[in-house]
Amino acid sequence: MRTESLPDSAVRFGSGQNVLRIEDPALVRGHGCYTDDIELPGQLHLMFLRSPHAHARIVSIDKTEAQALPGVVAVLTGADLVEAGVLPIPARMPFKRPDGSPGQAPPRRPLAHEKVRFAGEAVAAVIAESTDAALNALDLLFVDYEDLAAVADPAQAIATGAPVIWDDAPDNIAAQMRHGSSDDAAAAFAGAAHAVSLDLVNQRLAPCSMEPRVTAAHVDAHTGRLIVAISSQMPTGVRTALLATIPGLQDDQIRVTVGDVGGGFGMKGAIHPEDIAVAYAAWSLKRPVKWCSQRLEDFISAVHGRDVRSQAELALDVNGKVLALRMKSQANIGAYSTGPGIVIQLLIGAWVGTSIYDIPVIDFELTGVLTNTTPVGAYRGAGRPEFIYIIERLMDAAARRLQIDPAELRRRNMIRPEQMPYRNAMGKVYDCGEFARMLEQGLGLADWEGFTARHAESAARGRLRGRGIATFLEWTGGDAFEETVSVTVQPDGIIELVSATQAMGQGIATSYAQLAVDVFGVPLENIRIVQGDTDRANGFGSAGSRSLFIGGPAIRQASLNTVDHAKELAAEALEAAAGDIEYRAGRFQVVGTDLQIGLFELAGRQTEGQIVSSGKTTVGGASWPNACHVCEVEIDPQTGVVEVVAYASVNDIGRVISPTIVRGQIEGGVAQGLGQALSEEMVYGEGAQLSTASLMDYAIPHADSFIHHKTEFDTSVPCTTNALGAKGVGELGTIGATPAAVLAVIDALDRIGLGQAAERLQMPLTAPKIWQVLAGRAAR
Amino acid sequence: MNAFQIHLNGKPVSAEIAPTTLLVDFIRGEQRLTGTHVGCDTAQCGACTVLLDGEPLKSCSVLALQVQGRDVTTIENLAPSDGELHPVQQAFIECHGLQCGFCTPGMVMATVGLLAHSPDPDDAEIAAALDGNLCRCTGYVNIVAAVHRAAELIAQRAGRAESQGAPE
Repeated sequence: MRTESLPDSAVRFGSGQNVLRIEDPALVRGHGCYTDDIELPGQLHLMFLRSPHAHARIVSIDKTEAQALPGVVAVLTGADLVEAGVLPIPARMPFKRPDGSPGQAPPRRPLAHEKVRFAGEAVAAVIAESTDAALNALDLLFVDYEDLAAVADPAQAIATGAPVIWDDAPDNIAAQMRHGSSDDAAAAFAGAAHAVSLDLVNQRLAPCSMEPRVTAAHVDAHTGRLIVAISSQMPTGVRTALLATIPGLQDDQIRVTVGDVGGGFGMKGAIHPEDIAVAYAAWSLKRPVKWCSQRLEDFISAVHGRDVRSQAELALDVNGKVLALRMKSQANIGAYSTGPGIVIQLLIGAWVGTSIYDIPVIDFELTGVLTNTTPVGAYRGAGRPEFIYIIERLMDAAARRLQIDPAELRRRNMIRPEQMPYRNAMGKVYDCGEFARMLEQGLGLADWEGFTARHAESAARGRLRGRGIATFLEWTGGDAFEETVSVTVQPDGIIELVSATQAMGQGIATSYAQLAVDVFGVPLENIRIVQGDTDRANGFGSAGSRSLFIGGPAIRQASLNTVDHAKELAAEALEAAAGDIEYRAGRFQVVGTDLQIGLFELAGRQTEGQIVSSGKTTVGGASWPNACHVCEVEIDPQTGVVEVVAYASVNDIGRVISPTIVRGQIEGGVAQGLGQALSEEMVYGEGAQLSTASLMDYAIPHADSFIHHKTEFDTSVPCTTNALGAKGVGELGTIGATPAAVLAVIDALDRIGLGQAAERLQMPLTAPKIWQVLAGRAAR
Repeated sequence: MNAFQIHLNGKPVSAEIAPTTLLVDFIRGEQRLTGTHVGCDTAQCGACTVLLDGEPLKSCSVLALQVQGRDVTTIENLAPSDGELHPVQQAFIECHGLQCGFCTPGMVMATVGLLAHSPDPDDAEIAAALDGNLCRCTGYVNIVAAVHRAAELIAQRAGRAESQGAPE
């Protein structure tokens, strides 16, 4: 009934409808505009010389020959930048060290100065007329290093006598956070019927967007402003960081633009040091300068994700009710502290430490450790995958010890709907959630009861079969809750909405356009979403699954404001009272008459030639999407190879604007989560050298790993903190898939009596590791 | 510098190039055809896949001079600029087979190559054919669906052409 009163376009293209993405026609034709596609006249190419040592003093750099090479315009070293007054990236270290002194980490300069602290750190930049000239010049740069002992392992780094990364943190502890109460936890464990403990490693990962980082900067000949084009999720943050680091650069002298972004996954959130070197080079040389990170450079110097070792334990009563969660974690934050890196590991992850379970007592000791490795930053999920993996592993281990069905143990501990809003032990408030219902739906979708038959069928084919559940929630929004959207209605039939959130491939422009269609009632083609230009909009950008549920309400509000404003203009044009004007599907009409005017015609009649409006909204807090993911695997006992054979998920994501996009986010996210569970790992070898710095060595999922999903949405519990009722979905799949898959592998091995050995395996669960467990059984 | 001639997107192109020029750099740099992407430095990712005499080729894996005189097609020439999309392009859109779109030109070209030989491939054949094309966004599930859909669309268009008596 309700839809009948809506304009046709809103019915077909508005929120909730499956639409074809507006981004796609250009992208499938090869007409996208990624940053590397920019080529300015007179453009120079910048390349970095990177340290082969993981830890060394830079004694001297001889750049005479490199500078003399034809085609070389400039060579910059760390010392040159210091002399020019280029500052380190402003540090964000809101934590203390164990002794109560302020947190410590070395200043991160655009180019290493005096010391290098990880293999691959940039020590010099060559700027040349061609990439060939730049490459040749790199070979003519002579750096005299004094090699120092290096450490990549965080446990070794905090041991006595370890090489010291930064003198102000002689124990290599950048910072430490304690959450909860150790006394309460000790009491809970003392009185507990059961205690379950696990040593767990969330291994280091490479975000690995298919488009590596690219930054291209130039000085506008007319205005003298520095224009920086960059593949980034947070253009305003990039702008702020450049203003803070490049001497003499004034607020009105810089513009950051972002074109198509070939994936970000958190890695393209915070600025990288290289970006500053590129911007400074363009600014000082007054010539266009472009740097395209090669895949190798991205592996060794773009931020990594995860890398946390945890000793975690649960106290339970005789009925399996969890009494307390205690955890000590060492997060390997790398050689420098990126802002997000340490906050993710010491705070954000902990916010979901108790997940959807009613766990009254926590005791977390989270330590950020400096090592001679690439700095760690945000990677899809950012803290939540680590902590959810830990709690889900503990729940399954407890179920095994107590001989309770893992679903039943979860059920007994879940927060009940009547406890909402629920304040968890970290003080975070969940606005809504019906977790037990998600579990039941997930088990139904996965045909949990039918597993025995499937297990037998697998066994008949000589395969081991196992199943794993992850029931979980996550925190979304980045704690940046305000967004502003400006709108112009143009006489050529375009309604342009400008947002400071940032597309990175997730299809947010389509979702926004659908929200605008809801209000304007015009076809999708009439809507144009503009992002990625700090001259037009500034804000937090896109991270933490915030764009839709925080940026979306601003799109809607700005659209409503525009219609209201235009109604007044229409009243003038039609010589009627605004209250008598009705708007529908791009037309204003005086009620009860045939007097009308089109929205776009009205725009053309304005003295400015367009209608201008805007809208600002603030959501009331984070959204807490949650889900039940169920994974089934088969293991080939001859080889240890794991195959994901079934994957079902029911996702409580509130109101859905673009079902196709949401499904793509969840299922694509699952693939990344399975990558962590089964194949991906950044490995440091001898001398803290990265041994997985190519796509041959770092195993992101290939096409043969694709799986058929059963994915369902539960939209019956809308988020209460935003006007749309939407919850963030960008990271849900990644968070759920890792524990679900690992628990399925452990279950498969447990069914042949190898559960204990399987519980000691650390990710990724590669064939050799599993084969060894199986072989150990054969030998016994 | 060496004299270099190819048929690029149906047109003869000649240039003086350094012998070290990779085909992908000629395409992106000299010719400014930026739909062909570079996502790695070890010929793993497949974002640079083009058609060489109709067969998929990672254009980062050959020197331009190695394809002297031959026929190279890039993503830009798969469909007329403003005209109907190629069925593979259409299928990728319909099936949400792309998110960030960076791997997409390579995926599309590899798919065109696959379907030329195998008009109705099964899942395993598709996965094998796309093993050298990496995607970080989709988990491949919608890409595999898009390849099936493309096969369908190609068959439909062929059927339509036949029923209209259009020449092959």
